[in-house]
Amino acid sequence: MNKLTLMAIFVTFNLMISGCLSSKIDQDDAENPSEYEWEDDGELVIVTYDVYGLTDEMLTQFETETGYEITLLKLDDAGSILDHLLQHKGLQVADLAIGLDNTYLQTAIDNNVLWEHFAELENISESVLEPYNGPLAAPFDHGYICLNYDSEIVDGENYTVPESLWDLTEDEWKGKIAIPSPETSSPGRAFMTATTDYFSNDQDNETEWTDWWSEMSSNEVIITTGWSEAYETRYTGGYGEWTDGYVGDAHIVLSYCHSPGVESWYNGNWTKSVALDIPGSSFHQVEYAAAIQGGNLDAASSFIEYLLSSEVNSKMPVENSMYSVLEGSDLPEENGYKFHSVVPQDPASISSTAIAENMETWLKQWNSAMVDG
Amino acid sequence: MNIKFSNVCAFLAYTLLVILPLWLAVDRLVWVAGFDPSAWISSLENNYISQGVIEFTFYQALISTIVTMAIGLPIAWQLGRYKWPLQSVVKAILTVPFVMPSIVAAMGFLYIVGKAGLDIRVDESTWFATLIIAHAWFNMALIIRFCEPVLSTLDPKLEEQMRLLPAGNTKYGRFRNLWLPLLAPSIAAAACMTFVFSFTSFALVRWITLGDNTLESVMAGVGSSAGIEGYMISRNEIVLGSSMIQFTILLISLFLMSWLQQKRQNLLPQASEVIVKKRNPKGWAIIGIGVLFSLSPLIAVLLASFRIRNTDSSGTNYSWDTSGWEFAFTSSNSISSAWEALFNSLGYAAITLIIAVPLGWILAQTIIDVEKSRPRLARTLDVLTMLPFAISSVMIGLGVMLGMIRIDAEFFYSFWPTPALAHIMITTPFVVRIMLPALRSIEPAYDECAKTLGITKWRRFTEIKLPLLKGSILVATIFTLAMSLGEFGASWVVTRNSDWTTLPVMIDSLRSIPYKNSLTAPAACAVSSVLMGITLILFTWAEKFRSARDGGMF
Repeated sequence: MNKLTLMAIFVTFNLMISGCLSSKIDQDDAENPSEYEWEDDGELVIVTYDVYGLTDEMLTQFETETGYEITLLKLDDAGSILDHLLQHKGLQVADLAIGLDNTYLQTAIDNNVLWEHFAELENISESVLEPYNGPLAAPFDHGYICLNYDSEIVDGENYTVPESLWDLTEDEWKGKIAIPSPETSSPGRAFMTATTDYFSNDQDNETEWTDWWSEMSSNEVIITTGWSEAYETRYTGGYGEWTDGYVGDAHIVLSYCHSPGVESWYNGNWTKSVALDIPGSSFHQVEYAAAIQGGNLDAASSFIEYLLSSEVNSKMPVENSMYSVLEGSDLPEENGYKFHSVVPQDPASISSTAIAENMETWLKQWNSAMVDG
Repeated sequence: MNIKFSNVCAFLAYTLLVILPLWLAVDRLVWVAGFDPSAWISSLENNYISQGVIEFTFYQALISTIVTMAIGLPIAWQLGRYKWPLQSVVKAILTVPFVMPSIVAAMGFLYIVGKAGLDIRVDESTWFATLIIAHAWFNMALIIRFCEPVLSTLDPKLEEQMRLLPAGNTKYGRFRNLWLPLLAPSIAAAACMTFVFSFTSFALVRWITLGDNTLESVMAGVGSSAGIEGYMISRNEIVLGSSMIQFTILLISLFLMSWLQQKRQNLLPQASEVIVKKRNPKGWAIIGIGVLFSLSPLIAVLLASFRIRNTDSSGTNYSWDTSGWEFAFTSSNSISSAWEALFNSLGYAAITLIIAVPLGWILAQTIIDVEKSRPRLARTLDVLTMLPFAISSVMIGLGVMLGMIRIDAEFFYSFWPTPALAHIMITTPFVVRIMLPALRSIEPAYDECAKTLGITKWRRFTEIKLPLLKGSILVATIFTLAMSLGEFGASWVVTRNSDWTTLPVMIDSLRSIPYKNSLTAPAACAVSSVLMGITLILFTWAEKFRSARDGGMF
């Protein structure tokens, strides 16, 4: 065989393979539920991130009760769950996604990567169904996104307690605020969404929400990949200071309005962390469990039902550090959980349709604002 | 001479296993992002997620290289010029960091600077310094391995003669006119490799710095959303831009290395180490510190695996027990047990060994076979086998990930050996590099003589070729095993969408669990200790065969 033949084999081979694979992925339209086809193989593959609520005991109980075998694929964050769904569209890799929130859900729905589940949902609180009330996803926990501050340092003397978002662009906050990135983290995305609303409703008509982010970028705001790095590694006011890897360079962090309550719950009714209820800057976040297109719909639906059963869901505040979605449920009073948790007076109000329509543009604008800042 | 069927098969297999996945990945990324290299590069600066990453990558690699040389050179000098008790043990300790998986080093340094250690991890400057020190720790072996043989075998007569000459009658003069020109190619080669390793550093950057990224870690970060049609186009551009810069830098350094290797070939009079070396009691200050530096992250990892944090209302205290190990070796729904990771890692290493070593060997043989009759083809094949050197492990991981999604995702996700493919891609080129000189050094006359004596092909292979190649095959074997076991970047990308795990990936996942659970960091260190133990066994085994080979390469 001569050189040319050899090279020809390589080239043809490569072209052959690439040619047949370069064609576009099928852009199939949303299927009609009656056309769904799946195989119940007795397994349930769940794509999720570090959702505390999926405890071993809880998963094992489901396995014993239903006979399904659970495999957890733990990804880095909510953004990675969406990536996974889009990356594996039309391929049967996983059955159930747990952890997309109301800022991510619509993108998943628009890309037809979800199937309608047939879990019977009862007794879900109305406010939780507000952002999305359909069969493609079931809410399993919720909470309000809020800035938190370390009241031992931000005591009104050394640091003034901020009263508006613009206050955070002051010099004293340079490099002292940690916010998870809206590109990768769901609380980060929720907060960015809130700022679009906050600045469109403020008295000032000259500045936009992107101006605030540019100012924040100039003020060296710490943008982290996920919530854990912001809260555990950077924030001085939380439990992070007792943990390995702690740095502690931020006195304000983006977390939940009930995070101080969680601190208090674990510390025996004590916390130095306080939720900052700046009107219009908080966001009602709802997290969802959703059946994945092409997956085992029986298993996914029965897990959703289990997750929303009062036995499992009522434990959300304790097991998952989030509110339960059940009607009439609330945070426990013990150890100051409820006392230290704030229900924001005036959370940002943006419809899910607006979120879905604008998210891509917002993210681009946010990126430009941060790069220019 | 005609090309043999086995040679064609080997190259087809190589194309299929190594080139194809990369090709598919690049093809996919370009298809999503559009072919516009200048846009790829500028997207690195136009996106907040990757802004400043080019600068940081170059800057930290440069500082790492300088610091590594500053730490490594005095040690290499002491080790090379003077006699030390337990010489080989000291040398082994000083060079062991290089074979340690970087994730193990990351865990060690995190413990040293963290809350339970020196507690100095407070701001950007400390974690940048930690990163640089960690890179120096990792790469210091390079300068020792490159310079020490030159120093320890130079005939002392040469220096004595120099003393008589005006240019060499002072210490500085001898350094300037004898040692520097003599050592320069070795120092440059070590610096070049240190730069490359720091440039493509992933595990250390991922764990030690916060917010700062190298091209490698930014690629890993955005890689999960790459290759999806019409979604986050900029992510594809970032990956393409990063890998293009990496490819260029790695390619340049490959050429530089081969040029420097030629320069390093020593034509000066050599003497036995016994004659060259004298005693130097003062040098212990340097060697002692070097040994301590070398061992501290390794000891830290082991200690940290038993150090458990207890936080209650009275504050935080630490106790010593084995609960971190128990946590690591107990399987749960959310995290697999270290047994599974160990089993997978050993399995993948075995598969990599079974495929990469024979494949690399046949490829090397093919290059030699066609060298005489078709030198240009031989050179093409040679370059083709070196191609993966110029591609970072995260890109190789993306290649496998996108490749498997495009070919048959369901099959590959349920096919346990899949992650081994990335390891094969990474190790095969090294096997080729190890086997090429070994195969070249076999005199064709041996085979011809045996042939005329009527010895069968099989016996000629087992009784002549195999014994002659034994050393190199063993080195290739150990090398392949060690690389596969410690491989992190590619495995992390390939396994992130699956429930497969390997020892390095498990260390990363354990450490990524929110720290509320006080056992995650000790458990990560327990798994690191296991990986460290296996690597040490392989390293000791490799040291036994090193004497038979030149001291230069690993």
